Amino acid sequence: MNSFLLFAIANLTLVLFLSPLYISVIKKVKAIPQGRHGPSVVQTYRNIFKLLKKESLYSRNSSFITRVAPYVDFTGSLLLSLFVPLIFIPNNSNTFGNIILFSYILMLTKFFIALSGLDAGSTFGGMGSSREMSVSAIIEPTIIMVFAAVAFSFNSVNFFEIIKSSLLSQNHVFLWLLFIPFVIILITESSRIPVDNPETHLELTMIHEAMVLEQSGKNLALIEWSSAIKQLVWIGIIVNIFIPIGVSTTMQMMALSIAVIMFFIKSLLFVIGIGIIESSTAKLRFFRLSNLFAMSYFLSFITILIEVLL
Amino acid sequence: MSYKDQLKQLFPSITYDEETDLEEYVFINPKEIVEISKSLKSLHFNLILEFGVENFKNHKGITLIYVFEKADYRKLLIMQSKINNNAESIAQIYPTAMLYEREMQDGFGIEFNHSFDTRKLFLHEYYPEGFHPLKKAFTNAHLKLKGKVSPSEEYVFKKINGEGIYEISVGPIHAGIIASGHFRFNVIGETILNLEIRHFWKHRGIEKCAENKTPEEGTVFAESIGGDETIANTLAYCTAIEKISGIKVSKRAEHLRLLCAEMERIYSLLGDIAGMIVDVAYPVGASQFFNLREEILRWNERLTGSRFCKGMLIIGGVSKDVNSKTLDELGDYLNYFYSQFTNSFLKILENASVLDRFETTGIIKESLVKPLNLTGPLARASGVNKDERICHPYTKIYEQIMNPNKILNEGDVLSRFRIKANTIKNSANIILMIIKNMPKGEMSVNYDIKDGCSCSIVESSRGQNIMFINIKNKKIDRFKVRTASFCNWYAIEHAVMGNIVPDFPLINKSLNLSYEGNDL
Repeated sequence: MNSFLLFAIANLTLVLFLSPLYISVIKKVKAIPQGRHGPSVVQTYRNIFKLLKKESLYSRNSSFITRVAPYVDFTGSLLLSLFVPLIFIPNNSNTFGNIILFSYILMLTKFFIALSGLDAGSTFGGMGSSREMSVSAIIEPTIIMVFAAVAFSFNSVNFFEIIKSSLLSQNHVFLWLLFIPFVIILITESSRIPVDNPETHLELTMIHEAMVLEQSGKNLALIEWSSAIKQLVWIGIIVNIFIPIGVSTTMQMMALSIAVIMFFIKSLLFVIGIGIIESSTAKLRFFRLSNLFAMSYFLSFITILIEVLL
Repeated sequence: MSYKDQLKQLFPSITYDEETDLEEYVFINPKEIVEISKSLKSLHFNLILEFGVENFKNHKGITLIYVFEKADYRKLLIMQSKINNNAESIAQIYPTAMLYEREMQDGFGIEFNHSFDTRKLFLHEYYPEGFHPLKKAFTNAHLKLKGKVSPSEEYVFKKINGEGIYEISVGPIHAGIIASGHFRFNVIGETILNLEIRHFWKHRGIEKCAENKTPEEGTVFAESIGGDETIANTLAYCTAIEKISGIKVSKRAEHLRLLCAEMERIYSLLGDIAGMIVDVAYPVGASQFFNLREEILRWNERLTGSRFCKGMLIIGGVSKDVNSKTLDELGDYLNYFYSQFTNSFLKILENASVLDRFETTGIIKESLVKPLNLTGPLARASGVNKDERICHPYTKIYEQIMNPNKILNEGDVLSRFRIKANTIKNSANIILMIIKNMPKGEMSVNYDIKDGCSCSIVESSRGQNIMFINIKNKKIDRFKVRTASFCNWYAIEHAVMGNIVPDFPLINKSLNLSYEGNDL
């Protein structure tokens, strides 16, 4: 079997069926210190399944953008999942895995969701889009800086090669400086506390939720599902760059099974960590977000300096 | 010389009416109200209530009643002005009068001259012309609503024009489970330039419904004004009826009433504190306060048979006695509660991310407290020692056992947070003292209802709740309630200015005003 085909099938299956679990796990982790039971870990699956059965309603003022955006977002997210090896690194992968292309596909999905927020002309949609775009604009240099630092460290702009060399060499101690910037990016991109609060019901404080207030039914299911997928893709990038143990380079059944189990354990631990971070801090004031991003920018910059000088 | 006499010298047309320990009634000439208000203002009196009564004290038309208070003066100065359908507005002198006058304009159809705001208050534009439900002539019947509202009759909001300024209208239907209120923002970027609140979406007509009911039936209406102010409102109601009929409540019943009132204050303010922490997205910190609140509610159930103390207060006393064993256990619990609460509170104050959101957010200036008649924890966080338990003591018990209130000057969310926590601790101490001093005595006394009127003030968890009851032929003739929220709501309009939109829910929660207590 073609190794890239295997990679594609494995990755798509994994992100489609594993991503909703992590949304639930974070909720569960957050519930425990509050003394609550929290929703069941299959609740996100149930929600998506329920929404998929419902019809989508559209505002009378909305154009084709509202109808198209969820599909662009969903396809974009699936495409993104092909850029990051989660359990298996295929041999021939020149087209996929490019960091720059990855960033732009990510922006494309955001752009469409932001447009759909504006499309119906409601105040909250507009407010959400405006905030999301402001946050994106200030997180973008950070993403570029972090990717540049990674590229400097591994002499590559391809996720496949980066993870492969991370797997083979052990000499990237300074790379751990990038761990914090990566976590900040993950939190921002998946709209979590302290940047955004995914569980808020207050229209006025929402960022991501405000943009998708007009979406319903199947479309909403796709948007929620793709947020979950994007979150898992970022988790995949972080755990596989920093702890590449277990990622398989061969197509052997044994190695693949170990890889799946290892990825599950690594990402689960990481997600529990995210839940703990969320439980221990309040949401930042909107205009303080830039401080958070500046910190991750600074750390990436230091990493580049160290990699270049040493 | 009393203030009443001072006024009499300035305005010879004033005639004295009845007087009690806490109220002074006078009649004034309706034409002089503006001048009288001006001199009262120079004497540092503040208007706390203005309302109308039809067919009151042998006057067929409407009697306007103005209730004034002064910080260091225990008595309420109550002015009665006999008018027909027309009166002078005093909103230029006392800004809160604008609300009362709009309320009367809707309820009685009174026209106020020189009023700067004549928009509707509690009636929607769809109600037909000449619909004034508080008039005695109005009886419940099918109502034909207007099919269409012409542009000239529409409710006009203040609109700010300029490049990049846009309007956000929130509510009355919200994305979450919140009561109905409409908030109209004018915003530039994220900064709020102006906020205007429009409430009164679910008017229940409590004032009208309570008319012609017996005083005992009226207790239920007082209880239903607002869930978390059940005891405060019922206490105000029972105090008013007891003052009118000269009923003397036993010491034990009085102590039990205050015990319930303080329990209510504790659970209400715990909800506020937890809510503020939830609104900065720190649910872990909030959960401890939610737990404590639940425990207090369970104690309420144990003490009174109802989590919200419903049915506990009756005219003449309380409906249920609490045995001394339960009281002792409550004392033990409150000692535990006190240390738990203090720990959790200090932990929140140690969390930098929470403090960062609380500090300098939603400042209410001290200079606003008097003109807007802001009361309760909100006033105490803005540097004014306003607490009706001390300013207008409705019982002698508080003076003996209450620790002085904490006063902070910043007026931001953080100081409200701290004042509310301090009020909770203070209430817990009051309850401990009440348990210690609990006298023996009757639960309730027998009584005869007499005719008359009375005005009573109670400190609820949100501030000053005031109630006016007029009994005629042993039935309720007028039931007027103004909760603290009615005035305090407008503090938000000032508190949010210059803040950013995402901070509005936090500022709103730091005041946590009642929608149902506002809209009777």
